[in-house]
Amino acid sequence: MLLLPGLVALGYALYNGPASWAVDGNTFWGTPISLFVFWIGLAHAGTLLSAIFLVLDIKQDKRTAMLAELSTLCSLAVAVIFPLMHLGVLDRFYMVMPLADARMNFANIRSPLVWDFCCIVIYGILSLLFFGTHLACGRFPGLSKIRKPLGWLLFPLVLWVHTVVSLDFAATFVPEWQGAFFPVYFIVGAIYSGLALVGCILWFEGYRMRLLEQLVKIGSWLLCAIWLWNFMVSGNFCTSAFIFAGLLPQLLLVSAIKNSRVGRLLIYISILVGLLLERLFLVSPGLGETVHFGLVDLGLLAFGVSAFILGFCGIRWYLGSAIEGESTFFGEVDDSDLVKGETAGSVGGAGADSGSGDGSDGSDGAEKYVEPWRSYETRTLRFPMFVGLSLTVLFCIWCGAQLAYDDVELTLVQVAPIIYPMAALIAALIAVGKAFYKEVLPELNTFSKKRRMIWSAVVIAFCILIAGLMGAFYGGGASVASDTRVHSAPVAEISNSPAVELSKSRLIWNSRCASCHGTDGKFNEKFVREFYPVPQKLDSARIDSIGVDSLVQVILQGRANMNAYEGRLTEVEARGLVLYMQKLAQDAQQSAGEAK
Amino acid sequence: MDRRDFIKSCSLMAVAGLLFGCRKSVLEGLGTGEGNLRGPSPKAFEDEVRLAMSQARGRLDLVRVNAPGKMKSSGLLEGAGCNNRFGMAIDLDACDGCGKCILACNMENNVPLVNEDEAARGRFMHWIEMRGGVPFMCAHCGDAPCEKVCPTGAANHTPDGISAMMYKRCAGTRFCGANCPAKARKFNFLDAQKLGLARKFNKDVPLREKGVMEKCSLCLHRLQNDRLRFKTESLGEWRGRGVTTACAEGCPKNAIVFGNWLDSESPLVKATSGRQLYAPRELANLDPSVVFIMGKR
Repeated sequence: MLLLPGLVALGYALYNGPASWAVDGNTFWGTPISLFVFWIGLAHAGTLLSAIFLVLDIKQDKRTAMLAELSTLCSLAVAVIFPLMHLGVLDRFYMVMPLADARMNFANIRSPLVWDFCCIVIYGILSLLFFGTHLACGRFPGLSKIRKPLGWLLFPLVLWVHTVVSLDFAATFVPEWQGAFFPVYFIVGAIYSGLALVGCILWFEGYRMRLLEQLVKIGSWLLCAIWLWNFMVSGNFCTSAFIFAGLLPQLLLVSAIKNSRVGRLLIYISILVGLLLERLFLVSPGLGETVHFGLVDLGLLAFGVSAFILGFCGIRWYLGSAIEGESTFFGEVDDSDLVKGETAGSVGGAGADSGSGDGSDGSDGAEKYVEPWRSYETRTLRFPMFVGLSLTVLFCIWCGAQLAYDDVELTLVQVAPIIYPMAALIAALIAVGKAFYKEVLPELNTFSKKRRMIWSAVVIAFCILIAGLMGAFYGGGASVASDTRVHSAPVAEISNSPAVELSKSRLIWNSRCASCHGTDGKFNEKFVREFYPVPQKLDSARIDSIGVDSLVQVILQGRANMNAYEGRLTEVEARGLVLYMQKLAQDAQQSAGEAK
Repeated sequence: MDRRDFIKSCSLMAVAGLLFGCRKSVLEGLGTGEGNLRGPSPKAFEDEVRLAMSQARGRLDLVRVNAPGKMKSSGLLEGAGCNNRFGMAIDLDACDGCGKCILACNMENNVPLVNEDEAARGRFMHWIEMRGGVPFMCAHCGDAPCEKVCPTGAANHTPDGISAMMYKRCAGTRFCGANCPAKARKFNFLDAQKLGLARKFNKDVPLREKGVMEKCSLCLHRLQNDRLRFKTESLGEWRGRGVTTACAEGCPKNAIVFGNWLDSESPLVKATSGRQLYAPRELANLDPSVVFIMGKR
């Protein structure tokens, strides 16, 4: 019911651009960004509840864990929509990615936003893998072995991602946002709101998790402490958020409320409302005085809520049997316990997340000794992690060595935000791939031939699609000149006599071409700006082999990174330019010969 | 009246009518090329400047700064010839806050109008705005915070010390705007071309599309034209002499001086020598290129 007005508001906001929601002269961001922060916060709790409980050996229902993970995925999907719609020019979102396009334009890696984007994408992929593995566990029990390593990869990633998001704010000059406490503050807020969301979901499923209530209480105290501290330091205080998210949850201490279903739900909802208000005030400090909430803002809010509910319920319904499972009953313990015997306690994993297999954590005395590099977790977690880290480092070195990246400061400090997520991504992919190969493929072989054909066709089509997209991207599909004119008319007369004298060609060359190609015969030594690639090196032999007519066409129609000069230069002038180029190359050759 | 007089007066009237139809306002001659006659009348632009000045609220809190020097060569600028650093000085002793610079800038840079809704919120596109009776524009900080956070690299620094914008690269994240301590950046909330609010007075400057950031460019196109001329005629090292910005040109009191901080012959260095330089407090330690001068001659 909320979805329709929500969609209308979203469409209106997309059509009308950023002016449509509440922003004043001092705020450039407004509602979508606060909603983004809110939803990305919610997205963290699911993984937290599932992955962190898993790695800390806290026993948890399969059903609760699944629901938590699903809520992560759904809120992540909702969260991603908001920053995209917040963009002024939506179709240029890909420019934020740290990929050089055909023109070797590169994102500004000093900006936290770039890493924000990467981290969120990687987080989404990993959460999907985690959920998928969990889902497939029922069918392929072998997969449950890699759940714990995945959990270990996800645990730091959750904190990492939210830190990067919070640094978007903390890096700015807005006085309300500055400070090193921001990451902690964001993470606490995020996890707290996420707990409340999971609490709500579990309530609707009719479950109750006492542990969750304890955690909510702890979260509220932590957040209150930060708020009070912030109030004492800077005097900023959001009263309504404090009441909703700080004071009301304390009612959980009252057992009458704690034990009544309605009471719990109301508390969870009040936490969500409080945190939402807090995010809104955070992003646009002038809310209420200079900024007024409009219909569009409410619509966006409604869109977020409704899209989440729709997505969550849809997937929940679709996967209903898988989540509930025929063999899982309420109170059943997760199958991760089977793994527990094999892993050498959580201490070993803690060593593993800090990096490559530092090895000697020894197993508990009761268990039999396994050589460190043969141990189960070395195989499942440390080895992929090691490969991931070394690949990441290799990638950084490779980037540093690339000529085109010379102008981009790709130093270790600059790429620091991406190192862990990237290593985690590679590690997770390796781990899942290995498990898939070992556990799932043998099972799949029992499938009917037709089904296998369909699946392999889907996989191949996907790969081709990705490869095609990358090809189009690097081939310059993304950077076509705005007015490309195609002329098939043949060149009228062919003559090599200079209709334009060389002196005039020199002037044209110096004004039009020299900015990239240089005034002297060296062509490419002068390289104006960091945003253009190095022009093609031309020497006499090359010019002769290409031929005058092709070069004239290149000048007029453009090629690869060169712009079309048709309309700005006549054909005769272009021909003169080519002849001038020949002369420059010959002069350069001569002077080089003399130098020898 | 005989027949001859009648024909004479008739033809005179016809000629007068024709001449009346041929009349041409002075401003129409300003722009050539397409889109010249389209767009709101210059009167509308004047009215908007007046409206913006009447609504202007902000104040400038000026503190003393040193004269801008050679820029610290960051990684991006290494190897580029850093012999120029363009900037401006606004003489507050001469300036009387008439606002003619705003109009001159708008016409030079094709700054669009805004609709009533935006005007009511006090969001004009003007690159120069009045703060406490003082014209204020982007200070082209040497250590610009806006450029650091731009994810796509659309906001960048030229080797000549200008904080430039690549409109085609701007994705509109507005991170730069949020990070500018002086809020000198303007965001195209409206599609001015579609709404008929933009007018191309100057063919050298492109019209900006909806959803991109813009701000004072120190009349970059004028500098580039001059540089091209230097290159074409091989006139030696280019120091940007003789170029001036539209606001400096339009100032009746000559309170705005444009020049090259690193060129001892530039009018800017001459005008500021022996004077005390000021900058807004929030920009003072960001190495601004546009400064204010007052007192002490």
